[in-house]
Amino acid sequence: MKLRGGYNVHLAGRPTNEVRDLPAPERLYLPLRSRRFTFSEIDVTDGQKVACGDEIAKDPGNFNVPLLAPYAGTVRLDALEGHVVLEDLDPAAGCSVREHDESAERSRYDPAVSEWKRRMLLELGAWQFFADAHTGTPLDPSGTPGAILVTTVHLDPHVARGDVLLRGRLDEFARGLEHLQSFLEYQPIYVAMSDIRTDFASEVREKLRGHAFVNLVAVPRRYPYGHPVALARHLGLTPSLENPVWALTTAGVLAVDRVLTTGTPAVERIVAVGGPAIDAPTHVRTVVGQPIHDLIGGHVTEKPVRVVNGGIMTGGTVGPEQKGLCAESTGLTVLVESTTRPFLGWIRPGWGSRSYSKTFASEVRPAFPEKINTALRGELRPCISCGQCVDVCPAGIMPNVIHKYIYAHDIESTIDTRVDLCFECGLCSYICPSKIDLRQQFIDAKKEIQAELEALLEEVEE
Amino acid sequence: MRLVANLLDRARPLFDEGGRLNFFKPVFDAGDAFFFSPATATAVAPHARDPLDVKRYMTTVIIALVPATLASIYFFGLRMIPVFIVSYAAGGAVEVLFATVRKEEVNEGFLVTGLIFPLVLPPALPLWMVAVGCAFGVLIGKELFGGTGRNLFNAALVGRVFLGLAYPKAMSGAWVEPGTGLLGRATELSVDAVASATPLALAKAGEFTATTDLFFGSVLGSAGETSALAIILGGVFLVGVGVASWRTTVSFLGSFAVLSLVLHGGDVGTVGWHMLAGGVLFGAFFMATDPVTSPMTSAGKWIYGIVIGVATALIRNLTGYVEGVTFAILLGNIFAPVLDETFIAASVRRLREQKA
Ligand code: SF4
Ligand code: SF4
Repeated sequence: MKLRGGYNVHLAGRPTNEVRDLPAPERLYLPLRSRRFTFSEIDVTDGQKVACGDEIAKDPGNFNVPLLAPYAGTVRLDALEGHVVLEDLDPAAGCSVREHDESAERSRYDPAVSEWKRRMLLELGAWQFFADAHTGTPLDPSGTPGAILVTTVHLDPHVARGDVLLRGRLDEFARGLEHLQSFLEYQPIYVAMSDIRTDFASEVREKLRGHAFVNLVAVPRRYPYGHPVALARHLGLTPSLENPVWALTTAGVLAVDRVLTTGTPAVERIVAVGGPAIDAPTHVRTVVGQPIHDLIGGHVTEKPVRVVNGGIMTGGTVGPEQKGLCAESTGLTVLVESTTRPFLGWIRPGWGSRSYSKTFASEVRPAFPEKINTALRGELRPCISCGQCVDVCPAGIMPNVIHKYIYAHDIESTIDTRVDLCFECGLCSYICPSKIDLRQQFIDAKKEIQAELEALLEEVEE
Repeated sequence: MRLVANLLDRARPLFDEGGRLNFFKPVFDAGDAFFFSPATATAVAPHARDPLDVKRYMTTVIIALVPATLASIYFFGLRMIPVFIVSYAAGGAVEVLFATVRKEEVNEGFLVTGLIFPLVLPPALPLWMVAVGCAFGVLIGKELFGGTGRNLFNAALVGRVFLGLAYPKAMSGAWVEPGTGLLGRATELSVDAVASATPLALAKAGEFTATTDLFFGSVLGSAGETSALAIILGGVFLVGVGVASWRTTVSFLGSFAVLSLVLHGGDVGTVGWHMLAGGVLFGAFFMATDPVTSPMTSAGKWIYGIVIGVATALIRNLTGYVEGVTFAILLGNIFAPVLDETFIAASVRRLREQKA
């Protein structure tokens, strides 16, 4: 399938290439929830001393994916609702090292070795980076992939950028790919790279060209073309329950290398901290549980702000109850909350507002980063059938039509018009002049359909 | 700006729950939102949004109508200004009434309807007829369907058809001789209605008005429809910024031209003349392209334009009517949902093949 639709939102506060180190905090607040995981089974007791890489909790609903202690410290279980707190930290203590594989044979397919590798990836915290390319859900570590899809193109403004993660770590990235190769008998590995021509991009291409098993896929730099679903469909990879396509990001491949080549846990994170409300947007080297306040504190230009976990298109709001960086975070985007009301905004030429439509004077300017806040920028209206959502949708479905069916509670037609193909990129909601939360409606509709299907199955079984 | 904000703030308690004027809250809200966009924040991701909203969308149409509006004042006099005001007042009153009763917000759709309506009427029509027609159009054409976004027919055209049926004499006898010279009639307050024939009526009798007059607009006709130049100026802008669908405009004009060519035995000059005369251009750029009443699907828009173009050519050439655009577009409006259903069904069939 051809890549279609898509649009780049030029949000101000793009993180620089630099990766900043943060001083170790006094305490870590490890959230027991992230987007996909709920670490409900706690493996430690209050007051227990743990070392770096020790398992603190796991998610029994998702193949026991663990939450690891990023540093040595003392566990506090009841200090903060929804978190495990780690105090008396000793970042200098280093992590325990397991048996690992530094041989050059690392890429050879061998079911026996792969058994050991799978266990290592799970126990040392790399497995959380693996997802089913088509559904985004966690994978069974004992499964066999239909193919492996690695995306280094992260275009949601602003999450940690692939090129930043790769800088200076190309060897590790290549080794990670070699390890991944050992899971495959004959299935391909695809590595999606941005099609831009920079020195660094050619360096990466050059490096990977030496690996015959890697299929490089050039992707235009347009959101959401780097998304695993967009890529999987583009490459014609079919979804499958038995042999799902494994999807990884740059960070995931680096985690694989760390675990398998050095035998140490993948506890380090490089996340982006940016957005229009941040004065010095950059990347930060940190760990899970790092207090959110430390990450953004001192850099917020204006208050009140909304902190988004991930990018503005799909990320969730970091509520006041969440104190630390969650296990799956790729970045924090900070936006000023909308409180002021623009005067006669609808009739201004719009020199400073960037729009998907061509109705703003800024149309004649080259793309520029815009300092937008969380305003809806208009009032909710019935759909006026402008057709913009159809143009922008990368999934090739008709959001306005699906919206009409959902509005009419016509579930059957909602299914027929393929709401299931929506991969929740958020562009339709972003550009809709009637300010309809299409993406959210589709997420809810999919849930409802899923629930009905399950109910139906149950009936059939009885 | 401060002043307006203060005034609004002072008036607000009157309209709030328990205030004396609470019943008129939608009116207040509309006025309030007219000056200051609401500060409403996004509730779910995406956390920021595009600056385009329905108000601006409609404003863009109004900007595109400015040349035709100015042309109407130039050719037919300052009397057009009270006509616009009356049309807005009547359409606005109905919209506000319904918003109040339904407890919904006042919708921006009438901003366009209120301006388009007088532009498709004979310029010397009595003001009360303008008011009645606009109110009827907005009421029957829009509100009864549930308001802007849910209406089946173009409200302005519904109003025009109503006036044509209810007051056929006035509708065919309220033309104005166009002004000429530097200021045209733009200095004249009152104008004389004349009952002479429009270019299209004359053409039925075999008498063709000069093409240059049609192009610049110094002919008898509906207030905003005479100047091809002004319509093209605004229309190209509207299509260029993507608010009007080029598919509709191109397929309407294209099919009209092709069929006319056949009907006129390949006489290019006559076809060109017909494209400029009457409401074809205005209809193709401003009426048929109304997103709400045209199909949603791209393929649907092509067929929709063709239906209108063909119908216009047929009505003009093969019936007793001199003009066919109004009926053709209303016919297209009827077809729009059918076309959508067909093409949505086709794309559903195509999508069914796709695994995920
Ligand atoms: S973008 Fe919004 S208003 Fe436009 S067609 Fe889609 S749902 Fe309707
Ligand atoms: S329908 Fe889904 S995939 Fe398409 S634009 Fe909307 S959120 Fe993105």
